[in-house]
Amino acid sequence: MLDLRIGGVHPDIMVLLPIVAGIIGGPSRGAGIGFTTGLVSDLFLPTPFGLSALVGCLVGFGVGLATIALDRTVWWLAPMAALGGSALYEVTYGALGSVLGQPQMLHVALARVVIVVSVTNAILAIPAMRLVKWGMAEASTEGMPTSDAGVGAAR
Amino acid sequence: MAPPRRSRRPRTTLLLLVLAAVTIITLDARGGFHVVTSGVRSVATDAFSPVRSGVNAVVEPIGSFLAGSVHYGAVREQNQKLQAEIDQLKMQDRSAADQAEALSQLSALLHLTFVGNLQTVPAQVTDFGTSNFAATIDINVGRSDGVQLSMPVVGNGGLVGQVVRVSRHTATVRLITDGQSAVGTRYGPPPGSLAVVDGTGAGMPLSADLVPSNTALTNGEVFVTSGLQGALFPAGIPVARVVASHTGDTASQESVSLQPEADLPHLRYVSVVLWGPSS
Repeated sequence: MLDLRIGGVHPDIMVLLPIVAGIIGGPSRGAGIGFTTGLVSDLFLPTPFGLSALVGCLVGFGVGLATIALDRTVWWLAPMAALGGSALYEVTYGALGSVLGQPQMLHVALARVVIVVSVTNAILAIPAMRLVKWGMAEASTEGMPTSDAGVGAAR
Repeated sequence: MAPPRRSRRPRTTLLLLVLAAVTIITLDARGGFHVVTSGVRSVATDAFSPVRSGVNAVVEPIGSFLAGSVHYGAVREQNQKLQAEIDQLKMQDRSAADQAEALSQLSALLHLTFVGNLQTVPAQVTDFGTSNFAATIDINVGRSDGVQLSMPVVGNGGLVGQVVRVSRHTATVRLITDGQSAVGTRYGPPPGSLAVVDGTGAGMPLSADLVPSNTALTNGEVFVTSGLQGALFPAGIPVARVVASHTGDTASQESVSLQPEADLPHLRYVSVVLWGPSS
């Protein structure tokens, strides 16, 4: 998008989808949506094909796992998860790209990329939650304890 | 009370997806499968091109608002067109002396009576960098316009980059500032010394390799494409000008920092040179 840039960095909404899917649907759903949206992103990116899918499923899974024991109804959960998840996504993306033979991916202004993408995704997290909730039939409870031990037993 | 059991399905799902992603990355990198992924990417780019244009049309005013009131509507577009024309004239002027020198030498050696002009295809920049991790632009010409992989792209005063992906109606150009870009160049009085100008990332200065230590370089000196046999770019295109150079105490090479001749951050129109190494 031509001019939608902040400090030379454009926001990356595709990163947000696996994060909110992980919060709403749990680790599996987060990983699945991260893989799918990543693969679609890879069709249009000049970076290695499959890299966004790999990082997307890892981050979606990670966010789902990290928030599974938390109260998902609190309003600040999505923005905070988007902030941390987006930062993790961008750093992992650059590092893995570098490992996969594209060292220039660590020569970008990574701190600026992390800040811009994380903050914009944190701002957009609440409307994105509503959008993804609408898209999903019902929130998954996968990965939750199956006994009556309560959510506190889950790591 | 029985201990809590946790489903293994999430981990299995993650494992399968990671394996699938790693397999895709590996197959794509190893060559054979790359033809398939390139084809899929090309089809997807063509299919989504109208959608992207529509989204850009909606989003661009918002972006213009965010970018500031200076970048405004028709005045801005007209200004960019005029700037592009001025830069094109500057590039022609800079490369004329080099081309004249090369022409006279070639004519003397080979008794050439004429030199054909390189054919170009004008293009509009439709997107600046779809990734924050690579310095690329998208342009609105593709295979149907004669554009092929590896063709040079010029505009706004000098070399812009090289075509790295082509679909039917669009192409992606890797800018000379991208970390994977390396351009064979020539500098100094004719016949000139050779150097490789490397990109170091979007918005960062270029660096030059193979410049011997204590080489007398002046700020503003222009490096032009070398055009050696098998080179990726034709000879005489301005690439970058020196902004700083120094030699370390124990360095075997001059440390040279260069600024691209093309106004890369403000590109709007470019020309694809219909030229390949075999031309």
